[in-house]
Amino acid sequence: MSKGTKLEWRAQEELFINLEPLQRGGVLPAESRKIALSYIDGYSTCDHCLGTLHILKKPPICDFLIEVADFLGMDRAILTHGCREAKFAIMHAITNPGQAIVMDENKHYTSYVAAERAGLKIYEVPSTGYPEFKVQPEEYVNTIEKVKRETGELPALVLLTHVDWTYGNLVDAEKVGKICKEYDVPFLLNTAYSSGRMPINGKKMSADFVTCSGHKSWAAGAGVVGILAISDEWADKVFKPSQRYKVKPIEILGCSARGSSALVLMTSFPYVKERVKHWDEEVEKARWFSSQMESLGNVTQLGDKPHNHDLMRFETPVFDRIAQKHKRRGYFLYEELSKRKIVGLKAGKTKSFDLSTYGLTKEQLTYVIESFQDIINKLS
Amino acid sequence: MVEKIVEETFEALFALEDLREVLRKTVPFHNLTEKQKEEVKAILNKVRKALDEIEEEIK
Repeated sequence: MSKGTKLEWRAQEELFINLEPLQRGGVLPAESRKIALSYIDGYSTCDHCLGTLHILKKPPICDFLIEVADFLGMDRAILTHGCREAKFAIMHAITNPGQAIVMDENKHYTSYVAAERAGLKIYEVPSTGYPEFKVQPEEYVNTIEKVKRETGELPALVLLTHVDWTYGNLVDAEKVGKICKEYDVPFLLNTAYSSGRMPINGKKMSADFVTCSGHKSWAAGAGVVGILAISDEWADKVFKPSQRYKVKPIEILGCSARGSSALVLMTSFPYVKERVKHWDEEVEKARWFSSQMESLGNVTQLGDKPHNHDLMRFETPVFDRIAQKHKRRGYFLYEELSKRKIVGLKAGKTKSFDLSTYGLTKEQLTYVIESFQDIINKLS
Repeated sequence: MVEKIVEETFEALFALEDLREVLRKTVPFHNLTEKQKEEVKAILNKVRKALDEIEEEIK
């Protein structure tokens, strides 16, 4: 950084109610912020290096990964730099360029980009479209059959976004897993917005691979970090070591998150294990919030109804009408909310917006609803 | 001496993270309950004590 560059310090969580859907599941508990402070220097995990990160005893990364695999109902787990890196590692390890991959229409863009990077031909399972945008597990059959017809082969991999980032729709992964088993195609479950928030059992869902996002859903910041969990049968391919550097897994280029992000993920783990037990309360809160939002009038929650996740998209003509006449146009909503100590909605958006209620109290959410009502009363 | 200073430095930093946690839990208005006020007082005492210990060590 050039001399004189001064960054503003950030206090979104201390000063505002933050509704940003990317950030809610990644908010750190105090103990994790403390460990981040002491491990903030480069390569801080490597004081007692044993050759590669996932076998470390001090700090106990090896034991942690064994526990994580068990927590996810899988056989083995390894750290990655993020969920996207985990997805690419799988694609690169088990497919060949030109082969087909099936993924849902609601996928995260990184699933698509990872497949492009791996040289795969992408087939999408369509959603039901407006207003619910559901991905029906049965549609996977049609798309797999389409791949068979067009390529003469089964897809090399099937990917499901367990909960999508746009609508917060939860798909029945068990059904998709069963379909994959019937076709004997490997199944990758992307749990970026589910594991760490809600209980996950990869085995029960017949998943060959489960990918997770530490900074999205495992209360782990201090950089980016992900988890790649697999069933034993894929270990030789996905965790294959370098021929020359025998302890270094090729697909993660030897070692991945070698710093404070790994330690934060570990420190947050007991907190995460506890919070997933309360997932039903989060769903109940999200449903209550959705109904309160719709009762404002001219607001519609898109996606699953009743909703099954804290991440939600609302269509909001009530605010868009105000924007058309307001001197600040679409920016009025962000500014009015900021004045009321609420952040997290994208500045300028009024036709629709996304938010998450995760980890917020009913009192805080009541205040958010009252603030939206107050803005409507004042400006419409 | 240095070990003590380092230990107290972390003690103060970690206590301040606990204070930050109270601020996070009470957004947006920070209307602290009596229990939270007591918690904040205890945190501040911890920080002061740590700073006093550091000061004593470097005399």
